[in-house]
Amino acid sequence: MKKILSVASGLLFLTLVFTWWLNSREPKPVKLIPTLSGQPEYCITCHADVPEISASHPIATFGCVSCHGGERLALNADLAHSTMRGGANPSDLSVVEASCGGSNCHSGSEADDRHHIQRVMTSVQSTYAGAIANIRYTFGAQTDLNAHYDISAITDDQTKTGITALLAFDPASETNPSIQKFGENCLTCHINATPREGETYTRQTGCAACHSTEQHTLTTAIPYTQCNACHNRGNYDLRTMTFTERTDHPTQRIDDYYQPIAQFTQCEYTLDCVDCHTRSEVMGDGDLHASQKDIQYVQCKTCHGTLTELPLTKTLTNLNDIAFRMSFLNPVVDLEPGDTIIITENGEPFWNTRVLSDGTYEMIGKATSQYFTFKPVMGSNCTQSGEDQSSAYCHECHAVER
Amino acid sequence: MRPSFFHHLHPPTIPAAQARCRHTLAAGGTAIFLMLILGITGIMEMFHYVPNPQEAALSVQTITYHVPFGGFIRSLHYWAAQLLLIVSVIHLLRVVFTAAYGHPRRFNYLLGLGLFILAILLDFTGYILRWDVDICYPLLTGTNLLKTIPLFGDSLFRIAVGGGEACSTGLLRFYVWHIFGLTLPIIILVAWHAFRVRRDGGIAVPPPHLRVNNERISRNVLVRREVLIMFIVSIVLILMASFLPAPIAPAMTGNPSIAANARAPWFFLWVQEMLKWGDPFIFGVLIPFGILVLLALIPYIFPKPADSDIGTWFPKSNRLAQIVVSVIALIVIALTLMTFIQ
Amino acid sequence: MSEISRRDFLKLARDGFLYLSGALALGGLLRFLEYDPNPAPKTEFDLGSASNFPLNSRTLLSNPQAVLLHTENGFSALSLVCTHLGCTVEQKTDGFTCPCHGSRFDSNGTVINGPAEKPLRSLRVETTNEGNLKLFTA
Repeated sequence: MKKILSVASGLLFLTLVFTWWLNSREPKPVKLIPTLSGQPEYCITCHADVPEISASHPIATFGCVSCHGGERLALNADLAHSTMRGGANPSDLSVVEASCGGSNCHSGSEADDRHHIQRVMTSVQSTYAGAIANIRYTFGAQTDLNAHYDISAITDDQTKTGITALLAFDPASETNPSIQKFGENCLTCHINATPREGETYTRQTGCAACHSTEQHTLTTAIPYTQCNACHNRGNYDLRTMTFTERTDHPTQRIDDYYQPIAQFTQCEYTLDCVDCHTRSEVMGDGDLHASQKDIQYVQCKTCHGTLTELPLTKTLTNLNDIAFRMSFLNPVVDLEPGDTIIITENGEPFWNTRVLSDGTYEMIGKATSQYFTFKPVMGSNCTQSGEDQSSAYCHECHAVER
Repeated sequence: MRPSFFHHLHPPTIPAAQARCRHTLAAGGTAIFLMLILGITGIMEMFHYVPNPQEAALSVQTITYHVPFGGFIRSLHYWAAQLLLIVSVIHLLRVVFTAAYGHPRRFNYLLGLGLFILAILLDFTGYILRWDVDICYPLLTGTNLLKTIPLFGDSLFRIAVGGGEACSTGLLRFYVWHIFGLTLPIIILVAWHAFRVRRDGGIAVPPPHLRVNNERISRNVLVRREVLIMFIVSIVLILMASFLPAPIAPAMTGNPSIAANARAPWFFLWVQEMLKWGDPFIFGVLIPFGILVLLALIPYIFPKPADSDIGTWFPKSNRLAQIVVSVIALIVIALTLMTFIQ
Repeated sequence: MSEISRRDFLKLARDGFLYLSGALALGGLLRFLEYDPNPAPKTEFDLGSASNFPLNSRTLLSNPQAVLLHTENGFSALSLVCTHLGCTVEQKTDGFTCPCHGSRFDSNGTVINGPAEKPLRSLRVETTNEGNLKLFTA
C-alpha cells in the first residue's frame, strides 16, 4: 500500500508539472491601451502582424475594439471574436453605426459635414432605389417612376426631396417573373450586398467597398479599379433579366478595359473616377433620391467651363474649409491658404485642382498623382453650340477613336 | 506513529468487507474531498472575481486568460462542481442499493438529501455568477419558476433573486447565496452528516450475529486508502481542468439577446425537457419536488430492508426502493438525452 | 382536564417560548431577505417619431422586447415575452417561436402550440401631441 501511495504521489507531482508546462506554452498576452477608450485590449497578442489601417486611425489611439467590437480581454479565438461586428468588415452597413458612428466620428452633425453614415445609407449606391423603381415600373408593378422600395427599409426625417421612407424590396413577394429574376440576378451591385466571386472584382461591403483597396487599409485615394468592382463587371440583358460577367482581366484601359460600345475622352480614361465625381455624387447628400439622375450633376463644363463662362472657382481662406480637410487626408494633394480651386455648381470643391496665375488650371490625380494642366473652353477653338452640355455632345468631337 | 487529528476522525477499526472501494465506491469520501477542492478554488477565485453586473463577466475573462493559472483554477472549480453532482448521485444510489438507509441511519439519509439539494443549488448559483449571455435564459426561467408557486412564490422570488429583473439585478444576491448563504449550511450539514455516520455505527453492516465476515481493518489502513483516492481524484481533476476548459461566453448586456443560448445547464436539462410539456408549476416545480419527497420517504414508507441484507449489494428485501430509484435515475437520464434530439 | 406536573408544564412553556422565538426570528429573517431596493422597472417607453414606422410596417424593438405594428387601425404592439416562462420569442416568417421550451405563436400572438397557454400580451401604444409614440408595458 505504501508503495502505491508513493507511485500515486509521484503521478500527482507529474500532473502538476505538466499543468505548469501547459501554462508556460500559452502565448504571452500583449496589452494595448488605446487612448480613446482607456481600456486594455489584447487583440495584438495574436494579430500583431495586422498593418496600421490608415494614418487617420492609428492603433495607439483607436485600438481594435472600438471599430471591430469583440471581447477585449479574451485570449481564446472563439470567445474573442464572438461579439465582433460584421465579421472581418465592421463597416458593413448593418453594423456601421456602432463601428464607424458616433458624433465625434462619422455620424456627427450635418453642419460639420460629419454625417457620412447617414449620407451613405440614404445614397442611391446603397438604396438602389432608382434601379428598383425603374424595373418595377417597366414591368408594371408600379405606375410611376417614384421610389417606393430600396434594398433595406430606411427613413429620412429631414428630407428635402419629399421621400420620407422607403420599404424593403422583397423579390419573393413580386408577381412579375422578370422582377423576381431581377431580384435573383441583379442585386449584387449595391454596397449592402456581398459581391459576386471572382478575383479581379472582389470588393467588400459598406464603407470598405470604396475606401478599402487592400486588406485592412482605409484610404481616400481611391483608384478607378475599385469602382470597377461594380461598374465594369459585364453586361446585363433586360429581356432575359440576366447578368453576364466578363471573364477577362484587362489592363489596357482604353483598349481592353472599357466596353466597346462606350465613348471616352482623355479625361475619362486617364483620370480616376474620384477625380471628377464629387463626395455628394458618390456618397449621397443625406436625402433619399428616386434616381441616379437626381444626384449626379458633374459635367465636362464643371471643370472646363463653356464658351461664355469660366468654371466656378473659390479662393480658400478659411482653414476649416472642407477642401483643406480633404487635401490633408490625401497623400498627394497639398493646398495652402490663398490657393484658388475649382468648385462645382453646388459649391463642392475640386480640392485636387488649382487656378494658375496665367489663367490655366492644374489637376493632380488623387490616387495616381498624375499632373495635368488644362485651358478653359472660353477663348479656345471649341465649336460647341452652348445649349447642350451633356457628355454625349462633347464626345462627338473629343472621344478617342478606338 | 501517533494518530493525527485526521486519523482520529475515523473509528479505530472498521469492518473490512464494507471498507472496500468495491463496496462504497468511495463515493461519499470523494464527495467530501470535491467539496474541499471547491472551497479552496472558490476562495482563490474570490480574490479576482468582481460581483457587479458590469464587471462580472470581464472579471471571469480576466481570471481565465490573464491571472496566472487562473484558467486552471477556474476549470478545476468547474469540474469539481460537476463531478460532485455525479458522485453525489452515485453515493445516493449506492446507499439505496446496499440498503444502508435503515434505522438508525434514516435521519442521516435525509441530511444527505439536503446536501444533494444544496450542491445542486450551489452549482446553479455558481453557473449564474458567470453573468454572460448563456446564463440569462436559465436565470430568467429558473427564477420565474419560483413565481409560479402559489402563496409564497413572489416572496421566494424576492428572497432568491433580490427582486428586480433577474437578468439585471440578480447577480449580487446570487453571489451572496453562492459564497455564504448556501455554503455555510452545506459545511454544517457535511460535518453533521459525517458525525452521524460515526454515531450511527459507521458504514452500514449487518448486526454482529448476522455478520458473515468479521475481518476488520485499522484506521491507518483506511486513511491510507482515502489518501490514495484523493491522489487519484486530484490527478483526474487536474487532467480534466488542463484539457477541458470551463465554459465561457461573451458578457451579458442586460436584455436577452436573440443569439443567446437557450439551453439549461446540463443538470437541469431534464427539467427543461419536461417544461416543454405544459404548465411550468407542474412540470418545473411539482414533479421535481415530488421526486425529492419520494426519495425522502424511502427509509420511512418503503418496506424495511432485512437486517441480514444491510451492507450487501442489491439485496432482495429492499427491491422496491432499488427499482424506484433506478427508474427515477433512468427517467432523468432519458429526459436529458431527449434534449439533444431536437 | 388531565393533571400536568409543574416540571412538565415549565418544560412545555420553555419549549413553547423557544419555538415561538424561532418562528419570530425566521419570520424576521424572511422579511429581511425579501426587501427589494431596486426601483420598479420602466413601464413607459418613448419610441421616437411616428414617421419612423410607416404603414404596414412591423418593427422589432429591443427595449422593451416587443414588435410595433402600424396598420390601418393605427399603432399597436405585441410583447415578445413568452407567456410560459418569460424567454424572448424569436420572429419567424409566420409567427414567433420560443427557443426555451418550443412554444409557438402566430403573427397576432395567438398560441399555435407548445407549453404556453396564454397568447402574447398586447401592449398599448399612444401618440403624443408632437407625433411621438409611447409604448406602455403595464
